[in-house]
Amino acid sequence: MRGFTHYISGLAAATFFPALVADLRMGILIPVIAAAAAYFPDFVDFKFGKFFSRRDYEIDPAPWDDKKHYAPKLVKVAELNEKNRYQFFAVQGKVSEIVERGEDTLVFKMIDENGNVKTVEKPYKSIIFKLTDETGTITVEAFGEDYDFFEEEFGEIAFGKEMLVFGYVDVDDDGIKLVVSDAPHPQGIAETIAKAIEEAYEKGETIVKIHNIRLPGDVYRRFFIHLDPPKREVRVEMGPIVTPGGVAIGGEVPDYRRVGIAKVSVPFIKTYPKPTRVDSFSGPEIAFRKAEFKGKTVVKDRFLPWHHGFSHSLTMGIIIGIVVFAFFKLIGYAHATELALAAMIGQWLHVFEDQLGFMGSNLLPPITKDVIPGFKLGESGSGLTNFSTAWLMIAFMIWNFNRFTDPRPIPIADWKLLLLLAWPSIIGFAIAIVKSFRLRKEISQLMDYYTNLEAFEEMEEVGGI
Amino acid sequence: MLPLLDILIWSLAGVLFGSLISWIPGFHIFNIMALLVAVFGVGELMPVQAFPFFAIGAIVAYAYVSAISSVYFSVADESAVFLLFPTQRYLLLGRGHEAVLLYLIGAVAGTLILVIGALFIFPKVLPPIYQATSPYITYFLTAIVLFMFMSEWPKEGDRGKTPFQRLWMAWRQILGGLLVFLLSGILGFIVMNTNLLPTTSAYTRLTPMFIGFFGMSWVLLNILSNPPMLEQVPDDRIESSPYNIAKASFGGALGGTIAAVYPIITGGMGALIAGHMTSQRGDDAFIISQGVNRVIYYVGAFTLLFLPNLRLTRGAAAWLVSSIYTPKSYAEYLAAVGVILLSAGISFVFTYYISKFLARSFNIVHIRKLSYFVAITLVIISYVLTGPMGIVVLLVSTAIGMMAAAFNTRRSYCLGGLILPVLISMTGHTGEVMHLLGLG
Repeated sequence: MRGFTHYISGLAAATFFPALVADLRMGILIPVIAAAAAYFPDFVDFKFGKFFSRRDYEIDPAPWDDKKHYAPKLVKVAELNEKNRYQFFAVQGKVSEIVERGEDTLVFKMIDENGNVKTVEKPYKSIIFKLTDETGTITVEAFGEDYDFFEEEFGEIAFGKEMLVFGYVDVDDDGIKLVVSDAPHPQGIAETIAKAIEEAYEKGETIVKIHNIRLPGDVYRRFFIHLDPPKREVRVEMGPIVTPGGVAIGGEVPDYRRVGIAKVSVPFIKTYPKPTRVDSFSGPEIAFRKAEFKGKTVVKDRFLPWHHGFSHSLTMGIIIGIVVFAFFKLIGYAHATELALAAMIGQWLHVFEDQLGFMGSNLLPPITKDVIPGFKLGESGSGLTNFSTAWLMIAFMIWNFNRFTDPRPIPIADWKLLLLLAWPSIIGFAIAIVKSFRLRKEISQLMDYYTNLEAFEEMEEVGGI
Repeated sequence: MLPLLDILIWSLAGVLFGSLISWIPGFHIFNIMALLVAVFGVGELMPVQAFPFFAIGAIVAYAYVSAISSVYFSVADESAVFLLFPTQRYLLLGRGHEAVLLYLIGAVAGTLILVIGALFIFPKVLPPIYQATSPYITYFLTAIVLFMFMSEWPKEGDRGKTPFQRLWMAWRQILGGLLVFLLSGILGFIVMNTNLLPTTSAYTRLTPMFIGFFGMSWVLLNILSNPPMLEQVPDDRIESSPYNIAKASFGGALGGTIAAVYPIITGGMGALIAGHMTSQRGDDAFIISQGVNRVIYYVGAFTLLFLPNLRLTRGAAAWLVSSIYTPKSYAEYLAAVGVILLSAGISFVFTYYISKFLARSFNIVHIRKLSYFVAITLVIISYVLTGPMGIVVLLVSTAIGMMAAAFNTRRSYCLGGLILPVLISMTGHTGEVMHLLGLG
């Protein structure tokens, strides 16, 4: 659920205690602590936990320019090396040599509309030249649709021409080169993820941080990460440029550098049946953990490993309750017990609400050791479940304010008032439950596909990947 | 009650007045109405009973036509030191007219929701709900402020080399927001509780502060960023879906209603709550919901002044009008609802054609020149309403407004200028804070 849904649940929890409601009426605002407690798990995770989380692999397809805080980063030639392969940079320099002009036939893989990978051959124009700045010289290559754009932008590329070239770094027998493009190559992302999965199979766990691609004008290059267990491959697909609001505004990359595919030599399963989409705000962290599945040793993914841990447990709710009680008792607040209970219930409501979704939580550590899967009623961003829950909490607040006030401002029976207030939530939840049956069926089918271990065995029989 | 023809004439005058000034960046209808009252007075040129209808016409026009300034005259360059609003991104993509059209869709939806609500729902539902919840307004207000701080999304921090570096990059933005809120709050507290500004400016003492926070700082950013004047597409074309429009309208209506009914809670705060409640995503949905939200927030709040069994005074315009004449009968309430519909229709046409005109001729007059003109006008307004000390308040609040942009934090933290002093007053701590600041 969204942050405010949790927060308002805490606000509502406090109103179930007549003593706290009486305090609120007198202008004592301490009960707002219950709302803070309800939001606390996300606050801790996103404001602290996320920054201290371990990173075994850090994938930054397009490093930010230090001054402008967006990509591509303007670098000197000498700053680039083989480790930057497939990353997106800009270099300012002078054309010092035209190596080759000509036409090539490109051979590349692309995904068709049905999701199948196919090999394509296309004839393209190309140019190779040397670009020199005060720190060194780099080979620059432009071909295909990028060549057309490049020529359109700079006119004919000639000796002595000063230009700002942006593209991704590649490596061949002659060393590193800069390939003109408007995005990093997805192959680098795919290869690093594949390597992390293989390493997790050996070591037990690896955590990968994937940065997003921010471009000038507060827009982002979207990309998708597909983990395909039966095919044992990681596919990364570069998408269009999008606004932070998710609206695509063009900038599709050419087919020949749209997809990166890396094979994985160990079996793995994917627990969430959709590709990971990376665009605005920040990029995700994914943990790959060695696990047992249907008697086989596999690697399992876990999205945002620092999220939904101890902070999202019922145990943490008890700790919050104790801390709130101790502190407010110490400062002499008369209703410390009620406040502590409200704070604990608020935090528990957060845990319960998140349990309605997909990720689940480790509910009672140290008794429970791992995450208990969610009920899959709807995704965390679902407007329907968020609104239904938040509205129910508003209904509870009004209901409680009314029944704890004498004379009652709304003089009707309690059950009747609650029903009058809460009907939008009842309808919302009913729709969510009906939709969740369909979703579960869909997930079950997809999970069968993703976790088809027999397919692994067949592939191994014929020689593996 | 005034004869129907007079109501029509004065509300049309209001629409015309509102339409003529609302497209100018940094101009707010509340400030201009205050200026109008201060300079010309009401009662000589205009009958006092006509003032609410003149005001409602002007406010409806503002809710519609101000889309022009927020889309076309809040442009940013590509330095992207500051994050862009969706409307600014549309403009940078040459789709300013589309942003206005999306806003207008929202504004029309907002008007219809408001009119239906005003006729069939508000008179029955609002009074009991308001009565049950009004003693707890301080609770809601504190809760919203706390949520604003707790939910600030760190825009940087991912790329630091060490965990502590990452933490600091994220928290400097959050702490920056806190600082902006506190400084705004102190300024607001001083302005509200001392005789810094003349007593004759009773109804307009907050005007220079708000002009600084939200008007002047915006105009100065326009001047400093020297944005490119990009060619705009004047076609009547939008990219959205009926589902997005419906969802955004619902969210916008929810946020606008919360802001309209409860004091101190502004449209932006209402939008924040509703956006989270309905889990909104998408630039098109954001702009549409802004249209709905602003109509319900500005016009709806003012309409509550007409509701005989509630008669809430919400917003600066309502306070200004109620100090001169408060409508009393259901007939006036129904007339106000009619005026809303009529004014909305005229304002829609006005906004549409201004947008079309601007999209075609956007790069003729550079926004920088317009911004200089507006900056001077804002200084004059502040001076006329509040004298030389008003200019000092304007300068300080402008600096605070610019700080919010520099820290890359929410501009709405400047509302601390209103929220903090009110919270201090509601909880009975004004004397202590006066003492703490060495003011009494």
